Amino acid sequence: MNPSGSSPSSEVSEQELVRRKDFLEFGDADVSNLAEINELAQRYADAVIEDFYKHLLSFEETRSFFRDPHVLQRVKNAQQEYFLRLTQGKYDLAYVENRLGIGAIHERIDLPIKSYLGMYNFYLRAVSNRLSEAYQDQPERGRVTFLSLMKLTFLDMGLAIDTYIYSRERTIREQQEAIQELPTPVLPFREGMLLVPIIGLIDTQRARLLTEQLLGAVRDNRAKVVVMDITGVQAIDSKVANHMVQTVEAARLMGAIVIVAGVSPEIAQTMVTLGIDLGRMTTVGDLQSGIERAEEILGYTVTRTRSKTSSGQ
Amino acid sequence: MRASILKQSKFLIVSVQGSMTDADLVQLREELGAGVRRHRSTGVIVDVTMLDVMDSFAVRTLRGIAQMVKLLGAECIVVGIQPDVAFSMVQLGLTLEGTTTALDLEDGLSALRERIGAEGNPL
Repeated sequence: MNPSGSSPSSEVSEQELVRRKDFLEFGDADVSNLAEINELAQRYADAVIEDFYKHLLSFEETRSFFRDPHVLQRVKNAQQEYFLRLTQGKYDLAYVENRLGIGAIHERIDLPIKSYLGMYNFYLRAVSNRLSEAYQDQPERGRVTFLSLMKLTFLDMGLAIDTYIYSRERTIREQQEAIQELPTPVLPFREGMLLVPIIGLIDTQRARLLTEQLLGAVRDNRAKVVVMDITGVQAIDSKVANHMVQTVEAARLMGAIVIVAGVSPEIAQTMVTLGIDLGRMTTVGDLQSGIERAEEILGYTVTRTRSKTSSGQ
Repeated sequence: MRASILKQSKFLIVSVQGSMTDADLVQLREELGAGVRRHRSTGVIVDVTMLDVMDSFAVRTLRGIAQMVKLLGAECIVVGIQPDVAFSMVQLGLTLEGTTTALDLEDGLSALRERIGAEGNPL
């Protein structure tokens, strides 16, 4: 997988960053507040990181991510860099890129969002304690500085959650594409007759694709009758049902008759409840009846050349 | 651009071109009406294969042509409606009710022959 592929960096523009900062009321004052505690942060970095990982390792759920001591050391270093970056100024697109990258790493190792947010919370609490100590004489100053840090941390959290959501959305999109690519075969069954078995869930998008395929196949195969078998369809909604009716009508305009076979009682009930006009639609209960009806229209007669008993021998 | 009307024994074959204006369509209706009378045709095939767009006026005119031909005592079949045209027509609620349709010229001709007889004489 392309490492940058899982980060939505392309979606955070200069403008978007400004909007996010505006919403958090993160301004120049905050930047200078944070710059002021940079030195302090460096002094406390090691201790905070140690506490941080002690906390993480005391929970089974988060411990499992840091079994390997080498990994742990590497992560600690990265984490320290991460925390120090908070007070180093220049909160620009490069900063966003860095934050998104880190979010993507956590998403990739399947760290739950609750743990991720919990880690932010722990960090804020740890820093809060140290800030109150350092600003004992100026509690108001300490409070304001902490608020600045909190704003920036929330900006980071927003970005991190975005990477999680983006990744999930991509998964959904990929699955939708996979469903769309599910082959819906249009099978020439006899001369002038097509068989279209439909299996699974039909949504509006798939219904449209089906229509295109079906109408195209009618033209390419010069079909006169199409048997559409929906035995494998569990449910349809009003949009899809209407779409089906339209497909049947469109096929008629091209000189083909569509027979819908395998209508389950549930789907029949749905269609009646939805008040869909079935006047011009030919429906039959099962595929066998559908094929028989189609053969009748096309003038085929099927005869058994051997009797039932002799065919078994 | 004007549509061409070809006479083949007792049938008239109308080939509608890709870019027909409303006026062209009305003119086609008039010429076809006159043609059916003059040639004493028994069947008309309107081939719309070249049409990639069909608006409501075109559909209404087409239906009007079919009804007119029927009143003149001949059969009318519309052939060659393309898949996307067919679907967009249906979505617009223009379903050419009461008009016989067929896939293409070949199917249309055989349908006419079936109805009227190979020689073009009513059965």
